Amino acid sequence: MQFLTTFWHAVYSDEPFSASRNFLISAILWLVVGTTLGLTAGALMTWPDLIHGIAELSFGRLRPLHIHGVLIGWLSMAYVGCMFYLVPILSGRKSLWNERLGNLTVIAWNILMVGGGISLAQGHTEAREYAELLGIWDWAVMAGLLMAGLNVYMTVLTGKEKKWYVSIWYFLGALFWFPIVYVIGNRTFVQFEGLNDAIAGWFYGHNILGMWFTVGGVGILYYLLPKFSGNPLYSHTLSMIGFWTIGMFYAPTGTHHVLQSPVPEWLKAIAVISSVFLLVPVLTVLTNFFMTLKGKWSLAADHIPMRFAIAAGIAYLLTCIQGPFQATRAINWYLHFSNWVVGHAHLALLATFSFIVFAAIYFIIPKITGRKIYSKRLAVWHFWLTLIGWIVMLVSLTIAGLIQAAGWHFAVPVDQWAIEMEPYMFVRFLSGLLIVFGQILFMVNIYKTVFSKNFEPAPVSPSGIAYV
Amino acid sequence: MEQRLNYLIAGTFVALIFLTIIFVTAVLPATTFQPEATPAATVYTAQELRGRNIYRREGCFYCHSQFTRYQDRESGEMVKAGDYVYETPHVLGTERTGPDLSNIGGKYSDGWHKAHHINPRTVKPGSIMPSFSYLSDHDMEDLISYLQTLGRKREDVARDREHDPISWLEPPQEYRDRYHKIVVEEKVADVNASAAANSGYGIFVQNCAGCHGINGRGNGPTSSSMAKKPANFSRPFYQAYSDQMWFWRVAEGVPGTRMPRWEKSLSDEDMLYLVAFLKTLPVSGEVPAGEIEVTTFNQIENPTRFDHNYRFIEVLNGTHDDPYVYGGGRE
Repeated sequence: MQFLTTFWHAVYSDEPFSASRNFLISAILWLVVGTTLGLTAGALMTWPDLIHGIAELSFGRLRPLHIHGVLIGWLSMAYVGCMFYLVPILSGRKSLWNERLGNLTVIAWNILMVGGGISLAQGHTEAREYAELLGIWDWAVMAGLLMAGLNVYMTVLTGKEKKWYVSIWYFLGALFWFPIVYVIGNRTFVQFEGLNDAIAGWFYGHNILGMWFTVGGVGILYYLLPKFSGNPLYSHTLSMIGFWTIGMFYAPTGTHHVLQSPVPEWLKAIAVISSVFLLVPVLTVLTNFFMTLKGKWSLAADHIPMRFAIAAGIAYLLTCIQGPFQATRAINWYLHFSNWVVGHAHLALLATFSFIVFAAIYFIIPKITGRKIYSKRLAVWHFWLTLIGWIVMLVSLTIAGLIQAAGWHFAVPVDQWAIEMEPYMFVRFLSGLLIVFGQILFMVNIYKTVFSKNFEPAPVSPSGIAYV
Repeated sequence: MEQRLNYLIAGTFVALIFLTIIFVTAVLPATTFQPEATPAATVYTAQELRGRNIYRREGCFYCHSQFTRYQDRESGEMVKAGDYVYETPHVLGTERTGPDLSNIGGKYSDGWHKAHHINPRTVKPGSIMPSFSYLSDHDMEDLISYLQTLGRKREDVARDREHDPISWLEPPQEYRDRYHKIVVEEKVADVNASAAANSGYGIFVQNCAGCHGINGRGNGPTSSSMAKKPANFSRPFYQAYSDQMWFWRVAEGVPGTRMPRWEKSLSDEDMLYLVAFLKTLPVSGEVPAGEIEVTTFNQIENPTRFDHNYRFIEVLNGTHDDPYVYGGGRE
């Protein structure tokens, strides 16, 4: 009984930053669940008979579960958690506009994850990639986004700070764009027929990355890098150029996923051109990041969150060179339909945006709880396991994708090239093991920090350095 | 207060731009892009529709695409926008761990599909497809009935064309119309002019000679590596080709072979020059097209749909013993 009361007070509290803490803690749980599901699906690519006769665990069910576990569960929740901490700080408030509403959002989001997960496992799916959730859960996601959006917008509008830091722009943009994209992309709200359904589906499939994960992640990194390095932001103008151009160029890119299907040519042209134009926001953002770090790169040796942030920046550069490259017609002609693209997706979501959130969590959790991170060694292990994990995964999937693309291109029967891919699929499974193990260490580390009875107080340092 | 107004103006501006972009890329196509249903578009029966829902429920579309591309040379007939009119929600797919299924219907028997779904490795060693042994018999039947519809009508259209003797020598109506438009109305090129044939020879040497050979005898350098030999234009059969037919073959390519759709890379004018050249190629003596006896498809007992031999029905008829008459490169 005592436990229940404590639990209720923790999840429905109006303490400052409790919503942020609860969001981050739940997100880490979904991270471990989501990556484990991904690992299981990866194992099935090597040993297809590993799981036999269980509908809920067949590849076709595991894949949407993995995607929703890591996208809606881990990354989205972690983003909102980070925003709930950063937005009050940046707008000069002591807490969120309404902390209880924030905590209600956490509860609703977790219910959505459990319910949506069960219904996906049961095969209740809308069967459009990245938008599989049924209508009822689509409404729940919308409710969650709107509640979070209301809270963030009201916090900014009631804040003392009248000149908005660039992160605020990004957060407000993300919470404005993503609900619109979600409404158009999911069949629940708007219906299209035939190929137009594919166009809308991929409009959503790519913009969940562009208008939500990219915008949110870049916003978080804009806060963390000056904080970690102690340098001021290199250029506010550049950051604004990056923000406005991302809004201009990202939205029409989705059609590059169906570039060789019979959808209208003008739409493909717009998609390819804006995909290449995305280099503009990417390069401005990265110039800004790397110039902000000027003279402070060596901090990464000892400062674990900084290390995550730098790794994320480099992975972002890699992703965003690769993305426009493979979206052009000539390259897409060869690489489409292959595992190369799967590697690219992991590079973006794991190596870039997840690393940004790791950095943020190692930084924010001590700030919120006043406790020092439980173990620096675990954090170092988490870093290396995840880093090596994604590099190995990217390389193996890229090679596998090239073999596969050659197979399609030279009309080699599937049976023949599929055998050639086996070693790479096995290596990909091993990389998944590394990643999942890293995430379990991460969960242990953060949960020990938050829940353990014995803790050291977080060291207070004006520059924000040395929190781990 | 003034600061806030600035933000408000900027914010409204951005919102408007963003909404315009969304309107153009996601909503505008839905109103302007309304292709008409082609003969290949399938209206599903209740059972097939249930099967389609099982296909979606089990996530088949994660590993199997349902559109053939220009470069997928062995996936059968190319898809067209109008084929997808009744395909809602779409199952186009974006990754192929397994083969494309646009034209899978009729390729295998129901029994094969059932065995393949229960344990894929019994019929396809090395396959990594999951086992769907948990599907009930009812579900399995529905799923198979759906799979058997895929591309079936597309194949029917192609087959009807190939088994209608006139269609071997005349392109589909849309191409006759298009040819009429560019040659008679717009006068893009004169296919009977020797200057056009000369230009066509240059284009032929650059683009076609690699496979068809410098004299169009189907013996170009790359022909030796092809399972299906390039056409030998010295066959009398080709004398019966109309100009429109040449234009259609050049523009659309030949499904199931490595002959590309040249309209993707050549202009109408270039293709007409090619037609002008191809008409001038000399004949070497063989059975003239008019003397070939033609059997209708139904007269052949139990043919396999994808057996290429059905094209060479005069062989089955016993009228000729060389299996490669139409388009074949054997001398």
